[in-house]
Amino acid sequence: MSEPATVIHMDDGKAPAAAAAASSSYATAPTTTTGDAAAAAGTTSSNNKARRGLPLLLRSGADGFRRCLAVIDFVLRVAAFGPTLAAAISTGTADERLSVFTQFFQFHARFDDFTAFTFFVVANAVAAGYLVLSLPFSAVCILRPKATGARLFLLLCDVVVMCLLTSAGAAAAAIVYLAHWGSRRANWVPICMQFHGFCQRTSGAVVATFLAVLVFVVLIFMGAGAIRRRRHH
Amino acid sequence: MKGTSEHGETSKAPLSRGVSKGLSVLDLILRFIAIIGTLASAIAMGTTNETLPFFTQFIRFKAQYSDLPTLTFFVIANSIVCAYLILSLPLSIVHIIRSKAKFSRLLLIFLDAAMLALVTAGASAAAAIVYLAHKGNVRANWLAICQQFDSFCERISGSLIGSFGAMVILILMILLSAIALARR
Repeated sequence: MSEPATVIHMDDGKAPAAAAAASSSYATAPTTTTGDAAAAAGTTSSNNKARRGLPLLLRSGADGFRRCLAVIDFVLRVAAFGPTLAAAISTGTADERLSVFTQFFQFHARFDDFTAFTFFVVANAVAAGYLVLSLPFSAVCILRPKATGARLFLLLCDVVVMCLLTSAGAAAAAIVYLAHWGSRRANWVPICMQFHGFCQRTSGAVVATFLAVLVFVVLIFMGAGAIRRRRHH
Repeated sequence: MKGTSEHGETSKAPLSRGVSKGLSVLDLILRFIAIIGTLASAIAMGTTNETLPFFTQFIRFKAQYSDLPTLTFFVIANSIVCAYLILSLPLSIVHIIRSKAKFSRLLLIFLDAAMLALVTAGASAAAAIVYLAHKGNVRANWLAICQQFDSFCERISGSLIGSFGAMVILILMILLSAIALARR
């Protein structure tokens, strides 16, 4: 009995190759075991090259790493949606009427009365809507780890929306600070003495916005890190 | 066939290397402009000092940036961002010379994003105060102080321009660094 030179095992060859194709790039589509051997040798050689120049934390397959980052990115986006929406709603529905009133002055506070709060509500609503709309792009980045164009676009939009959110949060924080402490020099009275509920609501909303800004900074950092890992020569 | 496709391209075209260097040079130029913007804003806000010629027994009509803590935060934030930009100039120059630096570009993007958040926060908080100074607030019974303090108001309004310009420039710099990262 003569054995063939190359032994072709269809079941053994296809199962680990299918697992490798699912977890790494889509470009390697093995058809025969000789092709599998060459692809395996190629990926191990590129992995060795990748392992040699990297610090300890980042030693893994490039696509697996990017996929992991993309999953965390998706989760963080869902997590940031809560604070922004809560801030927009809680400031938008903050309406306080005091039980005292004078002939000229009606003690009624709404977010409409302060331009900064109107901008705050609008910006938080825009950020919440953006986070929802960017979820499909984030999902695409999970499924196709090599989509650099989508990642770059997502990074740019993240930067712009983070800027908008920080701006709105800071403007509202300035007004809230004035409402809490007033300004003796400009003769501005701290209105939080009277409007307790309105003050608490808006202060909490500002804190939630800054938490969302922190999440955005982490998203930008991870997005840039995912773009960074290309093929090493 | 699989072997050659695995190795990818090993020689960079001179055009792409020129574009990479062009991006790094543009980044350096934008950094200089942002330094000037933030420095001008900090100085313009920090040197505000107006005393009105009349005074009453109880109130001294004097306006400085330190009277409003938000404007103090604006000056401090712009100073910090200016110092960071000056300190990151060598890193930017290194990127022009050695285009293969990956970790430093990532670090630069992260620090740029943090400084962008800081300068945006400072500029928009000061903008809210300046808006209040111009228009006042009827509901909270806050008077518009710009009616009396003319030159103080003009100063603090003008110093916002440099800060917002630096904010736009920082966004462009982050975009440039990300494009340079994606081109490797």
